[in-house]
Amino acid sequence: MIEMKDIRKVYQMGKVSLEALKGISLRVEPGEFVSIMGPSGSGKSTLMNIIGCLDTPTGGSYFLEEKNVAGFNFDQLSSIRNQKIGFVFQNFNLLPYATAYENVELPMLFNGKPGKKRRQRVLELLEMVGLVDRQAHRPTELSGGEQQRVAIARALANDPSLILADEPTGNIDSKTGQEIMGLFVELQRQGRTILMVTHDMTIAAYSERTIRLLDGHLVEARQ
Amino acid sequence: MILTFFRNLFRDLRRQPLRTSLTLSGVGWGTFAVVLLLAFGSAVGKQNMKSFRGVGQGFVIAFPMSTTLPYQGLPKGRRVRLTPEEIILAGQKIAGIKRMAFEFTATRRIRYRREDVLNTVRGVTVEYGDIRNVIAGEGRYLNGTDIALKRRVCVLGNAITKNLFHEEEAVGRTIFIEGLPFTVIGVMKKKIQTSNFSGQRDEHCVFIPWTTYSALFGDKYIGSFIFQPENIAASKRLIRLVREHLGSRAGFSPDDKDALFVWDWTEFEKSFSIFFLAFNIFLGLIGSFTLLVGGVGVASIMLVVVEERTKEIGIKLAVGAKRRHILWQFFAESLAIVLMGGWLGFLLAALVLRAIPIEKIREYVGIPEINPAVGVAAIMILLAIGVISGMMPARRAASTNPIEALRK
Repeated sequence: MIEMKDIRKVYQMGKVSLEALKGISLRVEPGEFVSIMGPSGSGKSTLMNIIGCLDTPTGGSYFLEEKNVAGFNFDQLSSIRNQKIGFVFQNFNLLPYATAYENVELPMLFNGKPGKKRRQRVLELLEMVGLVDRQAHRPTELSGGEQQRVAIARALANDPSLILADEPTGNIDSKTGQEIMGLFVELQRQGRTILMVTHDMTIAAYSERTIRLLDGHLVEARQ
Repeated sequence: MILTFFRNLFRDLRRQPLRTSLTLSGVGWGTFAVVLLLAFGSAVGKQNMKSFRGVGQGFVIAFPMSTTLPYQGLPKGRRVRLTPEEIILAGQKIAGIKRMAFEFTATRRIRYRREDVLNTVRGVTVEYGDIRNVIAGEGRYLNGTDIALKRRVCVLGNAITKNLFHEEEAVGRTIFIEGLPFTVIGVMKKKIQTSNFSGQRDEHCVFIPWTTYSALFGDKYIGSFIFQPENIAASKRLIRLVREHLGSRAGFSPDDKDALFVWDWTEFEKSFSIFFLAFNIFLGLIGSFTLLVGGVGVASIMLVVVEERTKEIGIKLAVGAKRRHILWQFFAESLAIVLMGGWLGFLLAALVLRAIPIEKIREYVGIPEINPAVGVAAIMILLAIGVISGMMPARRAASTNPIEALRK
């Protein structure tokens, strides 16, 4: 699914260059559930951004489903994000003025899915996360857990094979967090690959494998 | 898809009603100014051209004067005399002349019952009416038979008709010119005429067949002649040919500019057209600047909007929006504001144009209206402003870095 070799990321800040990733090699098999842990500034976010095709590495190769995406341009990466990757963020990142329905619909608006199929898919996903009756509500009218479920539904809109979650339970209470994690487990059971950044050991315990990052290096991979 | 696009577009516009309406009013006001200025500009131009053409259309006038150069042994200072036959011959001989006409002119005493006036009487040809736009509103204009039979008939200017006949019907009545009876066969249709030559304006004149004029008053030599070139651009060349032809016939040098005093009306018409074109461009520019201010308003508001919606842009990019999706979203929003504002401006201008008491100013400014030319010009300006004011914020939005945007 994911094969990274010697991935480097250097940020140039004026005359100072900051090496956020210092040669990361990583392999994730299809259907794996992997947690990424590490202290602040260890390079987790940078790694996630590169895996999520939001950013490009300065060096190294990154194969996503056998395609070397390291050399892709912005719009090609947009297509990858749209088709192959679903994002779940700590702070949900829903459009505040749009309803739950519209938020779930959003990724489908960028690949030209016809209206009828779009509608069918949105309702199917809202059904799956148990929010069909709340489809007309805006994020402010939903609880944190509900918002995160909308976000998960949105992440699944184009049926991606890879789900990237950045502290998905960070802004919700632990009981709701467990429900959310239940959803992730279910997604993995459906055959999706899940990569999750977390600080929380109990959350990381849901995954099959944990990767640790420290100062831009991969320090330990626990099976 | 398109439906969703527009639904989202209008939702975005509705989210900030005050801001949207202020931006709209800026563009609306600018459009209002452009449309009104262009409508008035083109109407004033048209009206002036119409008045200007009251004297005639695309023609050249020539007055025989005295020679100022010796010619083939003849001394200078001789009077140039041209007979009607010479002019008719010249009209036939010189290629490129569409119509040629001449006239005898003098102020003469005209009487109808108790009304007794001194007005200009013109002995003219049939073509004269076509060139000078002397068109019969009642009755008819002079014809070839009138000329051939030296009939004592006349066509009256509309103003002199009023002076002589007041409310009475003039056609068919008899008037007296220098005591000689003439039957009125026509009354000239009212025309607006701002320029003139030899005598009073046409509305005060009496037009009679030149043959009758010559026979009754004994004039042998014409007062002036006029001709229309087939092609207005060729007027200079034709003037030269006329000088050469008539010079050899009447004994003056073609280089003797004062022997034949020529007034090229086509030149005036050309410069007049250019002047009004420039005038309209000027008005259009002034209006465009007003609209540009509205456009700057849209652009700056949209830049703020882009700034405010950075997070939204980040989210959209993260879920797979391409640069062009974002570009279009903001571009369309700016364009929608500009077009809606433009529509409002158009509407307001149309209402104002309808409300203006037009009859009071018609003589000077004509009828200001949103004609196709005005509409097309205003829409082009509007679109240009819309594209300019939409492009900058849209490009900025599209170049958003999704990672930084999501951090906001």
